[in-house]
Amino acid sequence: MAMKEKPIISVTELSFGYNQNQSVISNVTCNIPENTLTVIMGKNGSGKSTFLRLLGGIMQYNSGAISVNGFELKKMKLGDRAKMIGFLPQHHKPVFPFRVSEVVLTGRASYIRFSPKKSDEYHVDRALELIGISSLKNRIYSELSGGEQQLVMIARILAQQPKILLLDEPISHLDYHNQIRILKLIKELVSNNITVVAVLHDPNMAYLFGEKFIYVHDSQVHEVKDEKPWENHLVNNIFDNELFPHEHDGKYIFIPKI
Amino acid sequence: MNTKALRYIAIIAPIPVIMVSLLLGASEDITIEKVFSFLFFGDLTDSELIKTILFHIRLPRVLLVFLTGGILAVSGSAMQAIFRNPLVDPYILGLSSGAAFGAALALYVAVLPIQLSAFVFGLLAVGLSYVMARKNNQVSVVSLILAGIITNGIFTALLTIVQIVSDPFKLQSIVHWIMGSFHTASWYELQLVILPAFAGLLVIFILRWKLNVLALGDEEALSAGVNPGRIKISILIATTMASSAVIAVSGIIGLYGLIVPHIVRMIFGVNNKVTMLMNLLLGGTFLVIIDDISRSFSGFEIPIGVFTMLICAPFFIWLLKKTNTGWQ
Repeated sequence: MAMKEKPIISVTELSFGYNQNQSVISNVTCNIPENTLTVIMGKNGSGKSTFLRLLGGIMQYNSGAISVNGFELKKMKLGDRAKMIGFLPQHHKPVFPFRVSEVVLTGRASYIRFSPKKSDEYHVDRALELIGISSLKNRIYSELSGGEQQLVMIARILAQQPKILLLDEPISHLDYHNQIRILKLIKELVSNNITVVAVLHDPNMAYLFGEKFIYVHDSQVHEVKDEKPWENHLVNNIFDNELFPHEHDGKYIFIPKI
Repeated sequence: MNTKALRYIAIIAPIPVIMVSLLLGASEDITIEKVFSFLFFGDLTDSELIKTILFHIRLPRVLLVFLTGGILAVSGSAMQAIFRNPLVDPYILGLSSGAAFGAALALYVAVLPIQLSAFVFGLLAVGLSYVMARKNNQVSVVSLILAGIITNGIFTALLTIVQIVSDPFKLQSIVHWIMGSFHTASWYELQLVILPAFAGLLVIFILRWKLNVLALGDEEALSAGVNPGRIKISILIATTMASSAVIAVSGIIGLYGLIVPHIVRMIFGVNNKVTMLMNLLLGGTFLVIIDDISRSFSGFEIPIGVFTMLICAPFFIWLLKKTNTGWQ
């Protein structure tokens, strides 16, 4: 595994808690390398999503620092930050029946002063094409299946054209075929100089596609330096299970102890 | 019929409706034939009287009604967008009763400017509903409606106190005005309304596409580079300014700002970039038609607020059943 170690995000002594006695993230220092797919893993409620939100500037941290491309995240203007970092939240239910094209267009907000232009529509079409859902363009978003909605939200973040994509469980609602397709697309983006940080749960998909790994456990964030990340001592804690790796063609799949 | 054709119809509709409305009225001396012969054939019999009635009584009234209907619909639509709640409007959120109390207080005290007092108390009422409904930075559909009911209750109670302490002469004008009525409409009233109304509308129209971004959720808006808090506050101030200004002259016109946006959505979809103008035009046109009925229905004038409530209430119940509000 070739390590491209130039960090695009540097996190120093980061802490965050909803109240004073309980911290969700405490004293974290780590780096996100540029043009790499970094996978974040951890149990439900371990603080993965919080960590990702902090990286995306969606939530403000209590102490420490995050610098993105040399700029302090807190001091970046909202619009500039959105052009640099795109954040894909977990699933949500919309209230109003917007069309798919209208939903994707909102990803262009940081480029739009008051009202969208022709060029914004063009980026919407391109993003839909890239995700392979051009046929959904005029459908009502709230009437789509969970998986289709997830694809639309991924298209929305691509229309935003950020340098860094933060994806919170981007494939959780997708079928097997689409999971592989989207992860392959993500790898393609990475080879086109996009940095991707994604929360994934399935160890097979994670170790197959991920290049760098971060484990979140007990409000601690650990950069994994092992050659084989599944041999890290935290793995059993994260999956609360033993994983047995099986090699095929130099790649690994994992079978849990049942 | 396609949406584009319907859009053109909606854009043109106000003109014939306003023209016809000018011909309708209570004064028996001024028949439609007389107005026609004055306007088109230069017949000068009773010309002074016709001129006065047309241009100093009916025209300002029709324009004021149109503006009121349009602003209530636009405000309702914008509020529904920022709260992501299809069941709110200036009336539900307590803005109407807050503004009504402010205006009544100004009528009673007589030193406060009515418009300013209506705006301040309207804003106070909406703020109160919002703060009451908010829990853990979340505002649920139902809690906002409940908070609105409480706010409405508080300001209706305060309004009653003003009514009790008012002398009979003032009381009569307060009561009549609360029910919602345009029979005192004049150029002067229109003049009072025009500035806050247009300032509010301008802000809402400038921000109307951003409402689409907000509609997806706060996190989604933030990640796209839009500060949801700032837009919500701008929209709240703008809608309160515009609607409290019209409420101060028209009285309470209940549920109107809730129903029109739904009709517009059924026809034109939910894209606020398109629907805002449709709300203004159709909201204005419908209210002019309702006002026409209310002043030519019988010998005396039925307050327009009574009419709209009777028409809109069943519609609201139907919406409540249809919308998935998560009562469980």
